[in-house]
This record gives sequence, structure tokens and C-alpha cells, in this order.
Amino acid sequence: MKRLHRFGPWAGALVLLVLGAAGCSNQQVSRIDPGTVTDLSGRWNDTDSRLVANALIEQSLLGPWLDRYATGHGGDAPTVIVGDFRNRSQEHIPVQTFVNDLESAYINSGAVTVVASGKEREDIRGEREDQQEFARADTRAALGQELGANYILQGELSSIADEEETMRFGATRKEKIVFYQVDARLVDLESNAVVWAGQHKIKKYIERKPFGL
Amino acid sequence: MNRMAMLAALALLAGCVPKKVNEQPIMENDQVVPDASATVAAASAEAERRRAEAGASRDALRAEALASCAPAICDAVVRGEVALGMNEVQVLAATGSTEDAWSIRRSGASLVMVPMDPRVVPEDVVGNLAMVQLTDDRVSRYGYAEAQGVRLVNEPFDATAEGRAQAVADQLMREGDELAARGEFDAALNRYDRVSILNPSDPMVDFKIARVLDTALRPYEALIQYQLFLHRLEIEKIEARGEAAAQLAEAIALAQQRIVILERQAR
Repeated sequence: MKRLHRFGPWAGALVLLVLGAAGCSNQQVSRIDPGTVTDLSGRWNDTDSRLVANALIEQSLLGPWLDRYATGHGGDAPTVIVGDFRNRSQEHIPVQTFVNDLESAYINSGAVTVVASGKEREDIRGEREDQQEFARADTRAALGQELGANYILQGELSSIADEEETMRFGATRKEKIVFYQVDARLVDLESNAVVWAGQHKIKKYIERKPFGL
Repeated sequence: MNRMAMLAALALLAGCVPKKVNEQPIMENDQVVPDASATVAAASAEAERRRAEAGASRDALRAEALASCAPAICDAVVRGEVALGMNEVQVLAATGSTEDAWSIRRSGASLVMVPMDPRVVPEDVVGNLAMVQLTDDRVSRYGYAEAQGVRLVNEPFDATAEGRAQAVADQLMREGDELAARGEFDAALNRYDRVSILNPSDPMVDFKIARVLDTALRPYEALIQYQLFLHRLEIEKIEARGEAAAQLAEAIALAQQRIVILERQAR
């Protein structure tokens, strides 16, 4: 007790420091607006996905291809199938986020009819075939009534990175430029003609200063 | 103490390495990126306007087209198929298009309709229309843009399944001849095989297949095809179509000659 008393003021400060440090590591979760820009690491994030989706939606829904199709087909909306979007960047990027945004915009605008693609179609056909055997006759979904698509939406995401480390007095400063380019195309399924091409580019500058300066 | 100050100064200096990029950011943390709902709403309103306008125009055309048509023409309009004898309004109704979709040129009693935009071609249930010609306000000829070129419908037979098969077979035969002349024998055989399905009664297809096989140094198959060709002609003779067979005299002679040679080689 006597020994502890001898370190009294120091021990108190130490305890306070430990408590303070422990307080700093407390986890805190808060809901924030999904539209808020929150860049932490500099890698591809939700803001990039949203920017790409917004740009492609605007370019495609306000593009002349819709008017052209409607003029040739008595005002009908074109039918589009969403094909592959390839990620050719060096990062793992879930491209489906902005592709789904684009698909939703097509459907909700009513300007484009979207048909189910790939695996979805197989599942639906399986269900329909199942109905032919087990469902009541007047409630069966008819066979051979699928909509054929006029166009297929395809695209790819590419990236280019450039970085440099600068050393001075043993401290390192890192600078990095990442460039993302998303290209989307609508291709006529009969003629292979590209009827619309959209593009969005994002360039990021990421700087890591030494000592948090 | 001095050492500590020195270290701190070094650290500060290290932090002051000049930036390589001095562009101002266009977006920073805590800004908000709006979603695309305004764009979607604008596109939706535009699509609705377009649909309403075109729908009203299409309904009016359809009513006018069906108001006074002969039964066969009415049937074709309802099926969505262009037919000989239709008027301009009936063509528009059958294709579900409006005048905006066509470039319409009039010259005397003749009127020619071609697609306004080659990328978006009006279509009926049969296919994409390349042109429609009207004489005295009645369709006298129309053509479909097909894989082998434009297929014309000049008379009622051309619009039937048989007529279409005949036209496609003729186009494939021409394509096969061109490929054979270029020495692309596999591709030529592919076209001739397709012709033989569409038009199985034409012995000339067998002769051409035999010639290509013979030239491509496939003697056994060529022999069979030459024999099949002569066999078909015999059947045709029995069917009293001697005139047609006579026109093939040269082909018959050649086939017989090649059979002899190929059989000798086979021995």
C-alpha cells in the first residue's frame, strides 16, 4: 500500500490513459444516407457504383435509340435482356450493383421492357413446366408466350492504376491514381448493330501522408 | 531534449514532400450523390407520351384499315401480315407502324414505302420488310429483308409457305454456286444440303452436291450422289417430265461418265 502510494500520481495518470485508449476503440455503428460520399480506402465503393448507375441511366434513357425504336414500331417499347458485365479491373468489384440499378430504372421508367436473363429464365421455365403437370388447368401459365428480346445490354469495367512512393528522412509518402472506366452497349440481337453506347469515367487521387500529416 | 526536437523537425520535413497532383477534388466525403429518380421520372413521362400518341394513331389506322376490307385482306391485317392488294393504311395497320416509320415516295400511280431508318425496320409476322410497292393504291409487290437477301412477293404463291421455301431455296442455291466457284466446298455443301431439304424434288441439287464432293476428292460420297441424281431423273421420267430431264442431258452424261470412273477407281 505504501509502495502504491509512492507512485500515486503516475498510477492515476496511467489508469486514465488506459481508460482513454479503451474508449477510443469502442465500436460505433450509425445509419447514414446511402447517397453520402464515404471514401475510406480509395478502393471502388458504393459512391462509384451510384455515379456509374446514374450516368448510364441518364445516357441510355435519354438517348435517341428509344425514340428511333418507338418510331419504327408504332410507339412500342424495345425489349432488352441484360447480358454480361465483365470486371476487367484489378479489384474485386461487384458490378451487379450498378447493373441492377440500370435494370430497375429501365423497368420503372416503362420506356424499356426487360426480360429475364440466363439462370433466371431456366428457373422460370422449370416452374412453368411444373405447372403444366400439377396446376389447375385454368391457372396454368401458357407455354410459348415468352417475349423475345430486341437488344442485349453488355459491358465491362476496366481500371488503370498509377502509384508512387516518395521517401524523405525515412518517412514514406504514397500517392496513387486509380482510373475506372465503365462501358455499356446495347446490341441489336438480329444485326449485331450497337444501337447505344454509354460510358462513365472515374479518376481518384489517393494520398497517404507520413505521420498522418 | 534536443534529440527529440530534431526528430520532430525531421518528421515535419518528411511530411512536407510536395504533392505530385494538384487538381482540386470534384467530390468530397459527406457530399450527397442524388439517385437517378428524376431521370427515370422524365423518361417515364416521355415514354408514356410516346405510347399514347402512337397508340392513338395506331388505333385510328387499324379502325380505318378494317372498315372496308375484303375478307382475305381483313384476315391478313388481323394476323399482322402484309398481303398483295392492301392499301397504304392496311399496310401500316398490318405492320403495327405509323407513317413515321416509313419513307414514302410517290411517282404517278406508283408509291414505294421503304423503312425510314435501316436500323429499325418495320416488320410483320413473317419478317422484316425491306420495301412495299403500291400501284393504284394497292400493294403490287413487297420484299422481306432475309438472311440470303431480299425476298420478293409478286404473286399470291410467293406469300405461301411453299413459295417462301422456293425463294429461299433459290437464294441458297445461288449462294452455294458462288461458294463452290470460290473453292469453299464445305460451305457450298452446307448450302446445297439446305436446298435439298427445302426443295427435295430438284435433281439438280443432287448433281451439284455430287460435283462438289467429286471435286473435293470425296469419291465414295460423290458416287452415291451421282447415282442418286440419275435415280431421281428416272423417277422424273416415269412421272412424264421428260422435258425437264432433257434439259439436264449434259448433267446426265457427266454423271454417268463420273460413275464409271469412280467405280473403276474404287476397284
